Amino acid sequence: MRRQIAVLLCFLTGFFVVVAFFIEQDPIPDINEKLDELLVIVFAFALVLGVVSFLQHHSKKIRRRDKGWTSSVISISSLVIMALLGIFESSIRGTGVIGDRTTFDWVFNWVFTPLQATMFSLLAFMIASAAFRAFRIKNIEAAVLMVAAIIVMLGRVSIGQVIFPQSLAISEWIMNNPNLAAQRGILIGAALGAASMAIRVILGIERPYM
Amino acid sequence: MSDAMKIGGIDKRWVYLLVAIGALIPIIKPLGLPVLSTPAVEALFEKIESLEPGDVIMLSFDYGPSSAPELDPMAESILRHCFQRDISVVVVALFPLGGDNQAKIALNKIVPEFPVVEGEDYVYLGYKDGGLAVLRRMAEDISIVFPQDNRGIPLEDIPLMQRVQNYSDTELSVSLATGIMGEWWAILVNAQFGQPVAVGATAVSAPKYYAYLKAGQMLSLLGGLKGAAEYETLIGEHYPELKERSQIATRGMDVQSIVHLIIIGFIILGNIVYLISRSERTRAGGRLASK
Amino acid sequence: MPLSDLIGIWVAAFLTLAIYSFLYKDNPVYRFAESIFVGISLGYEIGLVFYRTIWPNLVERLIANPGPNWYLAIGGILGLMLYCRYIPKISFLGKWALAVYIGYFVGVELMQRLHGDVLPQIKDTMLPLNGPFWGSLQNLLIVVGVLSVLIYFYFSKPHTGILKPISKVGVYFIMICFGASFGYTVMARISLLIGRLTFLVDGWVRPMIALIFGSS
Repeated sequence: MRRQIAVLLCFLTGFFVVVAFFIEQDPIPDINEKLDELLVIVFAFALVLGVVSFLQHHSKKIRRRDKGWTSSVISISSLVIMALLGIFESSIRGTGVIGDRTTFDWVFNWVFTPLQATMFSLLAFMIASAAFRAFRIKNIEAAVLMVAAIIVMLGRVSIGQVIFPQSLAISEWIMNNPNLAAQRGILIGAALGAASMAIRVILGIERPYM
Repeated sequence: MSDAMKIGGIDKRWVYLLVAIGALIPIIKPLGLPVLSTPAVEALFEKIESLEPGDVIMLSFDYGPSSAPELDPMAESILRHCFQRDISVVVVALFPLGGDNQAKIALNKIVPEFPVVEGEDYVYLGYKDGGLAVLRRMAEDISIVFPQDNRGIPLEDIPLMQRVQNYSDTELSVSLATGIMGEWWAILVNAQFGQPVAVGATAVSAPKYYAYLKAGQMLSLLGGLKGAAEYETLIGEHYPELKERSQIATRGMDVQSIVHLIIIGFIILGNIVYLISRSERTRAGGRLASK
Repeated sequence: MPLSDLIGIWVAAFLTLAIYSFLYKDNPVYRFAESIFVGISLGYEIGLVFYRTIWPNLVERLIANPGPNWYLAIGGILGLMLYCRYIPKISFLGKWALAVYIGYFVGVELMQRLHGDVLPQIKDTMLPLNGPFWGSLQNLLIVVGVLSVLIYFYFSKPHTGILKPISKVGVYFIMICFGASFGYTVMARISLLIGRLTFLVDGWVRPMIALIFGSS
C-alpha cells in the first residue's frame, strides 16, 4: 500500500505539471504557481540530504578507525564549523553588497574558493598528459577528431591566427555547421530519451524514488 | 629500448612542468596578442548598445569559483557596459555552490567605478534554491521567489523593482552559467516565456549551445575565456576609457596561446612516437618470424 | 589592505600549493587540503540554504502572513519528510516526499525537453535547400548531419543495409563534434589554471616581493 501511495503521488504531481502547461483556466495556474513555490522550499531541504549520508559514512569510519579516519575527522570538523558560521553569522542574511565581511565570507573566499578552483585546475595538467600519452590516431575517425581539435584549438587563440590565418574562419565554420549538426542530433536524441524516461517515471514504470 | 619508446615513456611530471612554465611566462610577461571578435559575441554587445538609458536587464550568476576564471571577466564587462550606458541591472544568483559570492565579488569590484545607486540603478536580490522552479516563478512574479533583496529590503520598497515584476519588464536576461543552467534559460525562459536570453558559458558547455544559438533560443553566446576576451575587446574599441580596466580575459588569452601550442605539440609528438614505435615493433616481429 | 585579507592571501596560497603538490605525488598535505574542501563545501550549503531559502521563503512568510501562506507549510513538511529515509520505521514517508519531488521535476523536464529542445531544434533543421548555392550546401550539410547522427543513435534496429553508410556518415560528424569539444575543453581547463597562477603571481608573490624589497 505504501509503495502504491508513492507511485500515486509521483503520478499526480507529474501529471498535474504536464496538464498545467496546457490549461490556463483558474484554478490550475494558481495551483501551479503555488506548487513552484513549494518545490523551491523542498529543493532547499533536498540539497542538504547529502550531508546526512556524508556524516553517517565518515562517523562510521572514525568509530572503526578505518584507513584514512583522520581525514574524516578533518572533513567533519570543517563541515560543522562552516555550517555553524553560516547559520549564526547574521550578515549573510543580507547586508549591503559593499563591505560585508564575515567569517563565513572569509572562509568561503580564502579557503573554499582557492581549494575548488585549484582542484579543477589540476585538469589542465591531466589533459596535457592525456594528449601526449593517450591521444593516438589509430584509424580515420580518430584522425578526423584530431584534425578538428587542432583547427579549433588554433582558431580559438590569437597565436593560432598568426600561424594559420584562416584558422578562426574555419574553426567558426566547423562550430556553426558540422559541430552544430552533430550537437543538434545528440540534443534531439537525448531530449527524446529524457522525455520518454520522464513519462516512464510519471506512469510508475520506473521508480527512482523507491 | 629505442629513443622513440623512451620519449613515449617519459615521466608525466615533466609534461606537467612544461605546461606550468608555458603558463607562467605570459603571466609574468604579457605578450599583448590581439583578440578578434565573432558574431556570436557581437550580438550581445549590439543588443546592449541598442538599449535606452533606464532599460532593465537581468543578470544571473549561475556559476561558482570553479568557473570564475572564465565567467568573472564576462560578468565584469557586462556590468561595466550596462552602467556606462545607464542601463539598470537586476542581479540574481541561482547556483548553489558559490553563485552568491561570485555575484557579490563582481558587484563589489564594478559598482565603485560608476556613480550608481543600489536600489535605483541596480539591485542584488541574492541567491535562491530551486533552479527550474525559480525560473518558472520569475515569469509570473519575481517578488514571490525573492521577497527581499540581499539587504533584507522588501522588493515593493525598492524603486527599481517597483517597475520590474517579471521577465517581460526586462529587455534581456543574461545567464553566466556552468553546467546545465545555461540550457534552462534557453529551453524554459526563452522557449516558454519568449524572453530574449544571452548565455555566457564555460568552454566545456559552449559547443553544445551553438545549436540553441542557431535556433534563435539564445540571442548570443559567449564561450569561455575567449568569449570574455572578445567582449572586453568590443568594450575597449567602443569605450576607450574602460579599456585599461577590461583586460583580464585578454591577458589570459596570451597564456591560452602558449599552452595550446604546447598541447598541440604533445599530440603531434605523441603520435610520431606511436608511429615510430609501431613500425619498430612490426619490424621486430617480422625479424622474429623469419628466424 | 585589511589584515584579514593579508592572512587570507597566505592561507589561499598555502592551500593552492598543497593541492598542486599532488602533481608531484600523493601526500598528507594534499589529503589535508582535500578533506577541508569536502567539509567546507557541505557546510557552506547548509548555511546558505538556511538563510537564503528556508528562512525568507518559508519561516518569515509563515510568521508574517500565516493565512494566505498556509500552503508553504506543506513544502516545509515535505522537506522534513525527506529526512525520514534515515529512520527505518518511517522511511516510507521519505519515499513519498521524494516521489512528489521527482514527479514535479520529471513533469517539468518532460514539457521542457519537448517544447524547449525537440520542437525548436527540429524546426530550425527544416532549412531551405533551393536558395543560393553556398547557403544551400551548408543547409544540406546540417540536415544530413542531424539525420545521420540521429540514425547512428537509433539502436532499435541493427545498422545494416541503408542504415550502415548513413550511420557511418553520422560517425564522422560526431568525430568532428568531439574534436571541437576537445578543443574547447582544453581551453576551459587552461582557464582554470590561468586563474590560479594569476593569483599566485599577482596576488601573492609580487606583493610579497614588493613588501620585502619595498618596490611598487
